[in-house]
Amino acid sequence: MRKHWARCLFASSAALLLGACAGSTNIMIEQTFPSVVAQPQALHATLVFDQAFRSYVATPDEHTQIGIGTAQVELLSNAFRGLFTQVDVVTSRDEIPPGTEMVIVASVREVQVSVPSESYLSVYEVWIKYNREIETADGAGIDSWFLPAYGKTPDSMLLSRSTAIEQAAIVALRDAGAKLLLDFFRIPAIYAWMQEHENQKVQS
Amino acid sequence: MRTRDLSVLLASGLAAACGSTTTVDEFRATTHLMQIDAGDKVVILGRRDAGSYETDRSFVECLGDEIDDAHFEVMSEDAFIDAFYPWFEPRTAPKSLARVQKLMERDFVRARIEETRVRYLVWLDGEIETSGHAGSMSCAIGPAGGGCLGFSSWDKTAFFEAVVWDLKNLTEEARVRVDSEGTSYVIGVIAPIPLLSPVRSQACSGMGEQLKSYFTQVATEG
Repeated sequence: MRKHWARCLFASSAALLLGACAGSTNIMIEQTFPSVVAQPQALHATLVFDQAFRSYVATPDEHTQIGIGTAQVELLSNAFRGLFTQVDVVTSRDEIPPGTEMVIVASVREVQVSVPSESYLSVYEVWIKYNREIETADGAGIDSWFLPAYGKTPDSMLLSRSTAIEQAAIVALRDAGAKLLLDFFRIPAIYAWMQEHENQKVQS
Repeated sequence: MRTRDLSVLLASGLAAACGSTTTVDEFRATTHLMQIDAGDKVVILGRRDAGSYETDRSFVECLGDEIDDAHFEVMSEDAFIDAFYPWFEPRTAPKSLARVQKLMERDFVRARIEETRVRYLVWLDGEIETSGHAGSMSCAIGPAGGGCLGFSSWDKTAFFEAVVWDLKNLTEEARVRVDSEGTSYVIGVIAPIPLLSPVRSQACSGMGEQLKSYFTQVATEG
């Protein structure tokens, strides 16, 4: 009987340890981002962030879930306000307000995570890949922009897995905002459309 | 008496062995001290763009504490990066003086510099490496007690370079490099006794004193 108890105790301890090793990581990014230092262009843009984008939870692997929906809506709204003088944020194309000159529809293509146990590096890394469909108010396509963003922790020392992935995801989100602000008007199709649109406004 | 002498000799020998060697090199095109008005700020930014390493945040903070002075303020790295978002993120920060000059052509960036009163930017690049692990130590615990026996040592090398830019005149003012190295030991005689070489703190204070000497003597009031 005593032997049986010892065996039970050993088995449950082993199961508990194995469970702890293969535990899942659920992270919700709730971060405020700084206001941007930029000079917005005189343009009325509407951002379409649908419900799936607003509540997006990435599942880069079967053990990891990262809720970036709320954070990415705040970050991108903030960043686009640094690009345009008037920005509206709606949940569907039906809600695009009158006077809109440019429509931007954002979606997440993929989120990837790299952890030290897999990469043999001492850092946690997160990649977020965005798609942006940029259109006129009439729905005519201007450009389709693929924007990859990257973030990593300084090192993984003394960080729990969830804290490290959270930190790397915040760096990746900031990188997405920075890249958007610096590169948006450098995209040839957008630059050309802006020039043409400006000329049309002057003529009318 | 002989045992005490031997202990003192051994302790002093080990303490001397744990010391570190620090070399500070500087390059300045001029001997003039750097002008900084009361209320102006200095910011120290660690390089974050290399894939294989990042400049240690704790070293950046240590250096900030070293050069902090009553006449001027050292702005924290995070506060500066947030105040200038998105221009000093790891991927967007200007890595050369020419890029800063280009950045300052934007009126809104220059206006923010004037608003925050950041006069000097110190770029800090470097890392601390550990190498040359030697020896071994084993620890055991049993019903009668436990203990460690053995000896282990490793070398630490710190190398950092600081480049100081004047954000008002858009010039490079100074370049300081510090190299520090030392060997640390752990001796296991029942309890493990660590004898750690102060490589980080020596590098930090060496570079801090050098940088501080450029500012403090010329601080003006009002």
